[in-house]
Amino acid sequence: MTEGQGRRGTGGGGAARRDAGLVPGTPPSPFAGAREPADELGALLAQVARGDQDAYRALFDRTASQVLGTVLAVVRDPAQSEEVAQEVLLDVWRSASRFDASLGSAAAWVATLAHRRAVDRVRSEQKAAERELRVASSAVAYDEVTEAVEARLDRERVRRCLGSLTELQRESVTLAYYGGYTYREVAELLGVALGTVKTRMRDGLIRLRDCLGVDS
Amino acid sequence: MRLGGSDPHTLAGAYAMDAVPEPDRARFERHLAGCESCRQEVRGLREATAALAAAAAVQPSAAFRDAALRAAAQTRQLPPAVGQAPAGWTAGDRGRRRELRGWRSRLAVGLVGALAAVVLAAGVVTYGMQHRLDQAQLHDHAVAAVLSAPDATMMSAPVRTGGTATVVMSHRERALVFSAADLRLLPIVQSYELWLIGPAGSRPAGMVPGSARGGMAGPMVVSGLRAGDSVGLTVEPAGGSQRPTSPPVVLVSLSGTR
Repeated sequence: MTEGQGRRGTGGGGAARRDAGLVPGTPPSPFAGAREPADELGALLAQVARGDQDAYRALFDRTASQVLGTVLAVVRDPAQSEEVAQEVLLDVWRSASRFDASLGSAAAWVATLAHRRAVDRVRSEQKAAERELRVASSAVAYDEVTEAVEARLDRERVRRCLGSLTELQRESVTLAYYGGYTYREVAELLGVALGTVKTRMRDGLIRLRDCLGVDS
Repeated sequence: MRLGGSDPHTLAGAYAMDAVPEPDRARFERHLAGCESCRQEVRGLREATAALAAAAAVQPSAAFRDAALRAAAQTRQLPPAVGQAPAGWTAGDRGRRRELRGWRSRLAVGLVGALAAVVLAAGVVTYGMQHRLDQAQLHDHAVAAVLSAPDATMMSAPVRTGGTATVVMSHRERALVFSAADLRLLPIVQSYELWLIGPAGSRPAGMVPGSARGGMAGPMVVSGLRAGDSVGLTVEPAGGSQRPTSPPVVLVSLSGTR
C-alpha cells in the first residue's frame, strides 16, 4: 500500500528515507528458536490480548519484519505483500486472546499466521490463473526463490542449519516454505516422487529443528 | 492421492509448512486428531518454520508501521474462546473451517427460504467461508466466528417501516451478526441504531453503517450478549443516542431460540 518499493533491494543499505534504526536484521529476533525472547513474546501477547496497545507496539516491533519478510518471500509482489502482512498483523491484534501457549510458541503462532495467509493468497490467485506457469517455468521459479532467500538469510544460525541439510532436503524445504509450493508441486519442480518429497521435507525440518535447538 | 498409506507421518513436514493441499490436508488432520505424537511433531516442526520466517525478515517502512498500529487501535479484539476445547492453530483452526462449510449449507437452505435479507450478509460471509477463514477480511473473522458456532441460529423479521432484518446468533459466542436489507431511507439527520435490550435496560450496539443510504454497508457483529436480551433497531438522531428515543422498528428476541 505504501512505500512498497525498496524492500528487495535493501542489500546495499539504501532507502535513505528510512529512519536510521530501521535496517534489516537489526531488531532482536524472537524467532530462530531463542527461548527466553520467545517467552517474552508470549508475555507480550498476553498483554495484547487484554487490549494493551503499548504491548502491541512492542510486539509489532519484534515481529513485523518477520511477518513482512515471510509474506514477501511467498507473495513477491510488494504492494500485495504489504496488504497481506497488514492483515496478518491486525489478525495478531484481534485474535491475541485465542493464542494458546500449550500449542506452541508465540513466535511460531505469528509465523504460522503469516505464512498461511501468504500461501492462501498465492494459491487463490493461482487457482484463478489455473497455474499456467506450473511446469513451464519450474527452473526459473526455483532460481528466483533460491536467490531471494539467499539474499535475505541474514540469520547466521538459520543459514548454517539450512546448510546442514542435504541438497534435496534444503531444496524441498525452501521451495515449500519460501516458495509457497505444495509438496506435489515441489515434487514436480524437482522431478522426484511424491513420497521422496514428503520424506525430504519432514527429515529436513527435523534436522533444522534439531540444529536450531528449538523447543517443541 | 495416497497419503502414503504406510506412514501418514511423513506428511508432518509438508503440513508444518502449509504445503499440503486439500483433500490431503483434511485426511492428515483426521490422522492428527488421533495421534498425540504426530501433533507433538508438527508443533516442533512449526517452531523450525518460525526460524525460517525470522531468516526472511525485512524491515517494514515507517508508513507500514503507522498504518498497522492505527488499524489495531481502531479494531475491536476477539474475546477469548471461553469454555471451548482448545481450538489450536495447527489442527483446530482448520477444523473450524470445516464447521463453516457445514453452516454454509445450512445458511444456503435458509436463503432459499425467502430470506433475501441475508444476501447482504452472505455476500461477505460466504466469500469468507469459501475462501477459508484466514483469507477473509478481519471483520469477516468475527462474522465467521458467529456463523461457525455450532449453536448458531438464524432469525429474520420484517422491519416495521420497511425492509427485513436478519440475525444470526450464537449463545456460545455470546455474539450475533445483524444485517438488514431494504431499510427505509432516512433523512440525513437520522440514522438507524442497534440496541441490546435486556431486563436491565438498553445497551447501544452500534450505529448501522451506511444506513443513511437505505442499505447497510455490511453486517454488524455485536458481542457481549446477556440472558434475556433482545436486539432492536431504532431511528435516532444522526449521531446516535445514549438510549433509544423511539420505539424499535424491529425487535428480535434472542432467548426464545434454543
